[in-house]
Amino acid sequence: MVAPTRRLGKLHREGRAAYLFLSPALLFFCVFLILPFVFAIVLAFSDWGGFDLGTLKWAGTSNFRDVLSFNGIFVKPILVNTLLFAFGSVFLATFGSVLVAYCIDRLSFQGFWRVLYFLPVVATVVAIGNVWKMMYQPAGLINGVLNKLGVNSIGFLSDASYALPSVTVVQAWASIGGAVLILTAGLKAIPTQYYEAAEVDGANSWHLFWSITLPLLRPALLFVLITQFIGGLQSFALIIVMTGDGGPVNATNVAAFEMYQRAFKYGAWGTASAMAMVLFVIILAITLLQLWIARRRGEETS
Amino acid sequence: MRRRFPWFAYLVVILGAVAMVMPFLDMVMSSFKGAGEYGVIPYKFLPSSFNLDNYREAFSQLELPRLFRNSVIVTLSVTVSVLVTSSMAGYALAKLRFRGRAVIFRFILATMMLPPFLLLIPTFLIMLNWPLAGGNDILGRGGDGGLTTSLVALILPFTVSGFGIFLMRQFMVSLPDEMLEAAKIDGANQWQTWRLIVLPQTKPVAITLGLITFIGTWNEYIWTLLISSSDPDLQTLPVGIQLLQSFLDPDRTMPIVMAGLVISTLPVLVVFLLLQKYYVRGVVLSGLK
Repeated sequence: MVAPTRRLGKLHREGRAAYLFLSPALLFFCVFLILPFVFAIVLAFSDWGGFDLGTLKWAGTSNFRDVLSFNGIFVKPILVNTLLFAFGSVFLATFGSVLVAYCIDRLSFQGFWRVLYFLPVVATVVAIGNVWKMMYQPAGLINGVLNKLGVNSIGFLSDASYALPSVTVVQAWASIGGAVLILTAGLKAIPTQYYEAAEVDGANSWHLFWSITLPLLRPALLFVLITQFIGGLQSFALIIVMTGDGGPVNATNVAAFEMYQRAFKYGAWGTASAMAMVLFVIILAITLLQLWIARRRGEETS
Repeated sequence: MRRRFPWFAYLVVILGAVAMVMPFLDMVMSSFKGAGEYGVIPYKFLPSSFNLDNYREAFSQLELPRLFRNSVIVTLSVTVSVLVTSSMAGYALAKLRFRGRAVIFRFILATMMLPPFLLLIPTFLIMLNWPLAGGNDILGRGGDGGLTTSLVALILPFTVSGFGIFLMRQFMVSLPDEMLEAAKIDGANQWQTWRLIVLPQTKPVAITLGLITFIGTWNEYIWTLLISSSDPDLQTLPVGIQLLQSFLDPDRTMPIVMAGLVISTLPVLVVFLLLQKYYVRGVVLSGLK
């Protein structure tokens, strides 16, 4: 009877120690995660303009009705912009990073190349945004090159039809390096025997890529797609830095930025929180959809 | 076929690398351009001379020393705190047996899925109404600014990282139990075991996590912009540099801004290049789990 009691006592002590070790983290998550999350939900359903919580009023779903009404600007152009910005940059970055990662994997000095592609990931969004803003100007590097080639200058950020694609390219440019890194790990995990066997069977490099590399790269690719979508749908620092107010005429305004403006410029906490909730649900839906598609595909092939 | 000279691969990688590096070269070159050289057509890549006027201007206009000091204080505080709290929580989750361990671990995984923008508004309001701070009463009312009036506001919301705890836990699971048992037989308590046995072993993953946190915090923009909007004394390098443009003529300012950006990018770049081996390994390690 002595052994079990001592064991229990030891477990009890270990449990107390464990919670002591965990206490800073758990306390933090209560104050900076659970509390704000609940607060965000309450705000989205309430009418509140000031700073005194006593004046907070329940508003039901009216904030959501305002935000999602088709007469407003939130659904179109802002949500449409958000989706175009995220889909566009994820498409460009994924296509680019698969190509680059696959190519780097066949060269020497691989570490050197990867570091070059990684530079934008290390730089602040203020540096990235301003450098590209400068390069996009009529007297900037890109128009300089275009002029040399006999093309007239393009108002990349001042022309409403070019502005959104122009920021989308920058977002993709900045995220290629991170994706290359993750895809490289995926590529390294593919056994070389597969390639050798296929080569014996006479497969060319296109076949190898299509029927060996791409299917086996799927877990890494899925991770890149999901994280980039989540990032792309909520990011707006680049928009602030490059276009200031989401202009010209809302051409580059995205949902998270509109939320920021409504909240901190106009103090419309309710509407802004409803916007955040809508965007959150969209992010969740797209993530679950991607996971679902990946799982279905996985079942078909295996 | 793999032995053939991969000219196509070289072409793709080199063209891409030029696109990656060119903006940074343009940034450096523009930081040396004089008043008449910037914003003129036709565009010239090289400055006529490498004089340091813009850097001098950046130091006086931007109050670079103040911005730099804030950036260093915030970044070091957050990095140290994340390392300590992550390794503590990671140790408990990896090596201690207690009720609720599975639930807490799942909860920590879930914390990584809440996008930051969702918590932006409520977190700001919580900081503003923090009890007994900045003149607030016990209910968080009546003061002017709560916690948002000091650098604490830039540090506190980032002191713990769910991702950091996850990373530490994954690494510590693989530490041999015998080593910890031996420490216990020698009479070490949990705190001593963590501090003297476990902590020194975590060096590789600590370097990775430290670097990721350092780079992320040094470059943080939105939250700092928000907090410092009413108090310029709280600006960090990215925010201070960005705001310089709003009150000066752009053609004159851009080269000064570029000088400021070169200065603010250099510390991160140096740290990254020195430790990039660990960074790369850490991103790969964490990315595919």
